Parts: sequence; C-alpha cells; structure tokens
Amino acid sequence: MAETLSGDEQFPVVARFEIRRRAYLAPDGAGLRRLPSFASDTELLVSFYRAMVLARAFDLKAVSLQRTGRLGTYAVGLGQEAVGVGIGSAMRQEDVLLPSYRDNAALLWRGVKMEEILLYWGGDERGNHSSGPAHDFPYCIPVGSQAPHAAGVAYAFKFRKQPRVAVCLFGDGATSKGDLWEAMNFAGVQKLPLVFVANNNQWAISVPLRLQTAAETLAQKAIAAGFAGEQVDGNDVIAVRDAAAEAIAAARNGQGPRFIEAMTYRLGDHTTADDAGRYRPPEEVQGRWKEEPIARLRAYLVSQRAWGKAQEEQLVRECQEQVDAAAERYLAIGPRAPETMFDHLYAELPKAYASQRDALKGGSHA
Amino acid sequence: MRQFNLPDLGEGLEEAEIVAWHVNQGDHVVADQPLVSVETDKAVVELPSPWSGRIARLFGAKGDLVKVGAPLAEFAEGAGQDTGTVVGEIERAEAPAEPKAAPDLAQPRALQVLPAIRALARKLEVDLNLVQATGAGGMVTRADVERAAKSLTDAGPAEPLKGMRRAMAQRMASAHAEVVRTTVTDEADIGDWPAAEDITIRLVGAIAAASRAEPSLNVWYNAQAGERRLIGRIDIGIAIDTDGGLIVPVLRNVGERDARDLRAGLDRMLADAKARAIPPEELRGATITLSNFGMIGGRFASLVVVPPQVAIVGAGRADLRAMVHRGEVAVRRILPLSLTFDHRVVTGGEAARFLVALKSALERA
Amino acid sequence: MPESTLVEAVNLALARAMQDDPNVIVLGEDVGVNGGVFRATVSLQQRFGPERVIDMPLSELLISGVCVGMAAQGLKPVGEIQFMGFMYPCIDQLVNHASRLRTRTQGRLSCPMVLRMPHGAGIRAPEHHSESTEAMLAHIPGLRVVMPSSPERAYGLLLAAIRDPDPVVFLEPTRLYRAVKGRVEDDGEALPLDVAFVLREGRDLTLISWGAMVKETLAAADELAADGIDAEVIDLATLKPYDEETVLASVSKTGRCVIVHEAARTGGFGAEIAALMAERALLSLLAPVARVTGYDTIIPLPRLEQSYMPSVDRIAAAARKVYRFG
Repeated sequence: MAETLSGDEQFPVVARFEIRRRAYLAPDGAGLRRLPSFASDTELLVSFYRAMVLARAFDLKAVSLQRTGRLGTYAVGLGQEAVGVGIGSAMRQEDVLLPSYRDNAALLWRGVKMEEILLYWGGDERGNHSSGPAHDFPYCIPVGSQAPHAAGVAYAFKFRKQPRVAVCLFGDGATSKGDLWEAMNFAGVQKLPLVFVANNNQWAISVPLRLQTAAETLAQKAIAAGFAGEQVDGNDVIAVRDAAAEAIAAARNGQGPRFIEAMTYRLGDHTTADDAGRYRPPEEVQGRWKEEPIARLRAYLVSQRAWGKAQEEQLVRECQEQVDAAAERYLAIGPRAPETMFDHLYAELPKAYASQRDALKGGSHA
Repeated sequence: MRQFNLPDLGEGLEEAEIVAWHVNQGDHVVADQPLVSVETDKAVVELPSPWSGRIARLFGAKGDLVKVGAPLAEFAEGAGQDTGTVVGEIERAEAPAEPKAAPDLAQPRALQVLPAIRALARKLEVDLNLVQATGAGGMVTRADVERAAKSLTDAGPAEPLKGMRRAMAQRMASAHAEVVRTTVTDEADIGDWPAAEDITIRLVGAIAAASRAEPSLNVWYNAQAGERRLIGRIDIGIAIDTDGGLIVPVLRNVGERDARDLRAGLDRMLADAKARAIPPEELRGATITLSNFGMIGGRFASLVVVPPQVAIVGAGRADLRAMVHRGEVAVRRILPLSLTFDHRVVTGGEAARFLVALKSALERA
Repeated sequence: MPESTLVEAVNLALARAMQDDPNVIVLGEDVGVNGGVFRATVSLQQRFGPERVIDMPLSELLISGVCVGMAAQGLKPVGEIQFMGFMYPCIDQLVNHASRLRTRTQGRLSCPMVLRMPHGAGIRAPEHHSESTEAMLAHIPGLRVVMPSSPERAYGLLLAAIRDPDPVVFLEPTRLYRAVKGRVEDDGEALPLDVAFVLREGRDLTLISWGAMVKETLAAADELAADGIDAEVIDLATLKPYDEETVLASVSKTGRCVIVHEAARTGGFGAEIAALMAERALLSLLAPVARVTGYDTIIPLPRLEQSYMPSVDRIAAAARKVYRFG
C-alpha cells in the first residue's frame, strides 16, 4: 500500500546538478592549493608564459597595423591569452580545433604563423591556408555556427574509431545561439569526443553577461544536454590547462563530451572599430586589470625563482623582434591576381563561370 | 590634452630607453594599465597609465632614449570620434547631395519591331520608317519588311525633293498643321456666257466682286497675335502648274483693273513662270488664292489654305450637264466651284455669302 | 529492368552509394528506423547500421552543420531535410559555410556534402509543405542545385551529387515521388551534373522546365503537336550551374522560348534564363520569352492549390501565343 505523504513533504527530487570552479593561482600569483603535477615542470610553465607574452605582443602589433591603415578590422584578444594557451597546449596535433575569431593565442600555439593571421585580417583568404594542422577549422565569424561543425568532426572520429577529439572554442554570446545548443544536445546523445570551451570574457560587444543569460553559469547548460560542465578561472593558465587536459582525455577515452567555462575578461575593445568606453566604466576595466593572466603567472614564476627581470627583458625584446619580422613578412606579400577569386570556388570551375574568370583575367569586366 | 611625462625613476637617473610599448596610438586605456616598459641602467620598469582615456599620441619608439620629464604619451580630451561601426569602415558624406531635377522620360519609340527583324531590315536596306506595319499592335513583321524590300526594288530610286517641290512640301505641311479647313461648294450656270469667254479672268473678276460683297475672306490672319486684318486691295494668288511644280504668283489689285489689263498681266506671269523667271516678290502677299484646276480636270476639291490667307477658291472643269433651268430640264454648261476657308477666322455665313456672290458674278452673261 | 518510382530510385542510389563508399553517411529526422517519412531511406539502417544511418534530433540547422563538419573530415554525408519548408535554418550553414569552405581555406578544407529534401507542391499537404524556393539557392556561389524529374535521372543525378567533391542541394519533386515510374538499372552509373537533358526534340519552340513541372511540360508538348506545333522540351536538371549552351542552342534553332516553373514568378529561376536569352540569343528570338509560373502569392492551401500551379492548359496557351507572335 502506498504511503500517503503529509501535506508539507516535498515532491521527490529527480535531478540535481553541481558546477565547480577550478582555480590554482590567485590574481597575485599565490598558490590557492596544491598545484597539479605538470606545474612542477617549470620549463612547461615558462613555455606557457612565453606563449602568452608573444600572443599579447602580436595582438598589439596587429592593432598598430590596423591603426596605420595596413590591416583591416581586427578582433582584439587582450586579457584572454591564458585561455588560448591553456586549451591549445592540452590538445594533440591530430585533434581538431574549431575556433571563434578571438582565439589567436590558441592558433599560434597550434603552429599557425603570425603573418598568416595578419594576412587573413588584412583581407586575403590565403591567411586561412595556414601552417597549423591542416584539419583545423578557420576562424568562424557567424557566432556559434562552428558548433555543429564540431559535432560533425567529432562524429567522424567516433565513426572511424579514431582517438581524436574536437575542441570547439566560442564566447559567452555564442551560448545564446541555437547552433550551440543543438550541437551540445547531439554531442550528448551520441557521446561525441567533443570538448566545448566557452571563453566567457563577460561581454558580447556591448552586451554584458547579465543580459545574455539568466543562468548562474554557462557551464550548467551542459547539464541540460546530458553531460558535465565546469567553470575554470580563465586567467589562471595552470587551471585552464588542467581542466582542458582532463576533459580532452575523457573525451578521447569515449566518455563523451565536456563543457569548460573559462572565466576571463575582455580587457580590450570588441574590435579595432569598437570603443568599449561607450558602454563600460573605466573603473570596472581597471579592476579587472588586476586579475590579468600574464602578470599572474609572472608573479608565480618569480616566486618560484623560475623567472627574473633579465629574462623578462630578453623575452620582451625577442617577442618584439618576432612580431616585427612577421609584420614585415606580411607587408611584403603582394595581392593576388583578381581572377584567383575563382580558383577554389569548386573543385573544378564549371564552364558557366569560366567566361567570367577570363574576362577578369583580361582586365575587362564583362 | 593631458600629457604623461617620464616620471622620476629615482636614484638620480636622468633618462631611460624605451624597451616596449604596451599600447598603440588610438587605444582606450584605463588607469594602471601597463603603458610602456623602459630600461634604466638598473632595470626594466613597466610604467602604468596614470589615467583612463584615449591615447592621442605616443612619443618615442622602441630604442629611443627619453629624458625624465619628457613627454611619453598624450591623452585626448573628450570622447573620441565614434566610428559608428564594429567592423570595416563606413564612409561619411561631406554635404547633402544637391537634388537634381527629375529627368524627362524619353519619348517611347514609335517603331515596334523585333531585333531580328530590325537586323533583317538593315540587311535588305529597308528604311523601317517607310514600312507599313501589319503585325498586332502596329508591329513590323518579317513579311512587312520583305514586302517593302520588294516594292522598293520595283519602285524607282529614291528622289530627294528639291526646289519648288520641296518648298511646296514644307509650305503645305505647315499650313495643314495650323488651319481649320472647311469647304463649301456650288455650281455656277455659265450657259449665258458669250462664246470663247476667258474663264480665268471671269473668275478673277468674280472673286473681286465677291470680296466687295463679303470682305471677310480677303483677310490676313495672325494666329499668334490672334488678329485679323481686312484688306482693301484684292491681290489674288493664281495657282499655276509648271514642269518644276506648283507656283502661285500674285495678280495685284484686281479690283481696280479691267479685263484686258488683267489678261495681259496673267499672260506675262505665265510666260515668266514657264521661263522660270518669276521674281520672288511676285510670289508674296496674296490676299486670297484661285486654283483653276478645272483646266486639267476635276470638279470639286478641298484645297489648302495657306496662312496668312484665310480662303482659296477652286474652279473645276466646266461641263455640260442636264439640270433644271427656268423650271424645265435643260442641258446647261456648269462651272463647279469650291471655297475652302479657315474656320478659325471666317464664319460659315461669311463663306456662304461669299460663294453666293461669286456664283452670281459668274452667272451674269 | 525493374520498374521504380522516383523515391525508390532515390533509395536505390543511396544504397548503391553507401555500398560503394564506406564514407557515405545518411542523416536526418526519421531516416533510420522509420526509413524516412517518404521511405526514401527505407531499409538503409538495417543494412548499414545506425552509425551510418543516423536518426538526428529535431534540428535542421544541426543536420546541415554536422554535414559540414563530417564533410571537412572526409566523410560523404547525405543529410535529409524532411520538407523544403523546413530548410530555412540551413541557409546559414549552406551560405556561410558549405558554399565557401573551399574558397575561404584556399582548398585546404572542402565540403563534399549533399542535402536532400522534397520540393514543390501538389500533394495537398498542410501549410509549409509545398515550397519551391530553389531560386534562393541557385543564387549562392559555390553551391550546386540539382533537381531530377524522373526516376532514371533521380538515380543517376543523386549518385553524381554524392560523388561530387562540392556541396549539392538535391531537390526531389514530392509530387512525382510515386506518380512516375521508370526503368532504373542499379548499375552505379552516374549522370553528368551541370548538363541539361533534351527530352523531346522540336523545331518550332523551346520549352524549358525542371522538377515536377517537366511532367506537365511534356504533356503540353503533346497537345501542341496535335496542333502541328513541334516543341522541344528541355529538363534543366542542374539549376546551378546550369547548361547555358544547350539552352542557347535550342533557342537559336527555334527562336521561341517558354520557361515553366511552379515557383513564384518574380525572381524565379526563369528570370535568369530569360536574361540569358536577352544577352545571348536576342537576334535569334522571333517572339518574347514567356514564363509560365506560380503566381507571386503565398502558395495557397490545398483547396486552391491547383489554381496556383501552372497547368498543361496554361503552358500550351502560352506556347501558342509565342508561336503565333508576329
């Protein structure tokens, strides 16, 4: 006989969830807890540091080129270097990265050359035919639309029984798009080897996070799709690397998808054509500068006596030289002949369009 | 403009070398954001931005030596210019475009013909303006073009109008455009005329008589000014058919000349016309015109009134006809008369009265 | 040779492609266990397994986007969209990604995917199930748009589409799924893409159509023949890129052209062909180019559907008018 419940007993709970936040270094570089084992490899940490500094120097150079009319609109990545380096460093070459348009730190780690990035933002498709892994996806401008691609890529890995993982990088704005939800949902159903990484820099152009979603975390959206999500301090490269490595390993082992929400802050404008001062108070940005990733890791490395001023100076000079040289190489690349716009339209250009190409070749416009 | 100068770095240092800029000109920076790294004898120092704002100008490049107190960065006053976009560059207009007057739409082509048929006409050397269109909606068909080509080969070569023919073509066209033509007709019974009467001179006299009876047809009309002028003198233009075409020399002041004088004048005109020696003045100034076309043939005609005249008298061929004369059927000699007048200026009543007077004058023996 | 309906021919082609190439994956809503709402994918999952014939969650955007990802990885995905009326969320993936992946990566990545869907009206269906917006897709550079009009061509063109290294939208005339039968040899022979088919030769006038309207166009040609008017009938088959040379050669011969499509008139694909005539066949034309099309209205619900669709009478009347012009 069924028990009769008294009036004030609650209905049974059928689902619960928990979202944890992973962090190892405080903003001032102090350790919050015991660090993961890879963090004892100071060379590795120094390589993260160098990569972040280079990424920032490159970013600055790109903005400089844009301001002097030698680059088109550019999406500034200031403050988010740890996310790209942490994620990129946790991936294998045979994994596939599907980035947004603000992930140069990850691209550089994966082997894309600086001049190729400049060539893309300078308005030449050849920039997407890059030196990184051939299977990586190029920048994705329509926000979140790379998520279904990531699902297709991950499905191919599962189908072929390959131990490879797709990593889909996107921003907080993308989590409002159906594309992302639909891909997550499918990834959950099919247990795809796919890691979703939300680069939560708190702003989608001028729209702050509180207007983007009512959810307390972006990570919990994974729960709705049937898999685990966690937050991580996106300005702590050790935490990002740690979370990414764990998620990617799980996916690779057939445990299905994971969601990482990297908490960071967009210290720069949305693009070089945007003025964030129109919608953000400078005091807020000022406060966030105190949490930025490069100073944080530097402080930790210095505290471990793994880094000093001489090395800092040398690194700064090296990065300057590298980005300047890359800019020179980019500026020396001449434009393509106009008729090359037909080159990769199809595997083989249909007859119907050959006459248009020929007209362009001849210098006339049919 | 607020300026940020290289601060005193302490320990008596007077200058520093710029190692690296951390911002660009045009950037929006916040207070404490790393601005530049400079190197002194002792160390590399990172200098934070003293204020939030937009960098208007940076002083010095990597490697330059800057003295303490010298400017490093200039901050812009006020808001920077809004780019008004997040990507690319939006051009801005300088001044509003001047509104242009709407163009007149071109008149539609009158010729309705398919391109293929146009090409055919060109090939066959057919002027499409001469082709009679038989297609629906006035379209020129292939058959029309082929027919025109055939009739052109049957016809003689094209002959441009020259001299008198050309003048006539132009004069008649402009007259037709202006005048409101109306014609009344009648027949004069000239059975009582003496034998071998001079028809033309009788007509000239009759016109003079009719003009006296009804002066409203011996008039010049200025359509533009809307004025008519009744003219006392009667100067009759006589239409003469020559080899070269139609000419209309003027027989002057017929109202005051006798028949013999008029005949002599007329003969002289005819001789000059044949010899093509009529001076131009002789062709001007008619107040009314006579066309004795009956000398060639024909009975009634609707003739062309040439402004500034308002009337033209036409006389057809005199013939014997059966008719009622004094109450009985008889064969009489009849002269057909046509009077074409410009109804803008001449009333039907005036024209009728003129014609009655003309007929009366002719029917006298 | 066995007889097949158009939808059976589609099924044959899919099975053949999956058999010959282990990289071919079929995905869509209800394509697996149910065999597709029109049975186009019937028995494929039994034969090839659920990993190769995937019952997708309800998301057309996802289906088209997953195809892009799979194709970039070298698989040959054949996505099914249940009706053209539901394909509009796919426009983002088709226009922003599938059509341009090869170009924007300068050949580093490519997108050999097929997106199939039922096209057109005439099955007395509820709202949104009668779309024919092929002109929208034929406008997109980098795409192919293919529409068969018979079982034989459905088989051969679908095989070609699957084998093609670039993205193809394959529009299947719903009305003809079971209404026409043909003899289809399951020989794995593809028909050429980018090529129009001259279904009937004629001297007096050229009738051009595609998809389900080819049926009415051929019937109109028969009617015209009874009147002594000898019409040539061309099935365009590939709308993008289309076979300009065949179309121009026909109109140079006949001088008269009537284009038939059920899609709405303004901006319909017939306008593109008429423009081509004006550009390159002007001096051959003996009459204006006529278009017999659906009206510029929302396609009505079943009670008025037949008034909207171009009928054999409408086609024949337009052809007679063009024939008698001038």
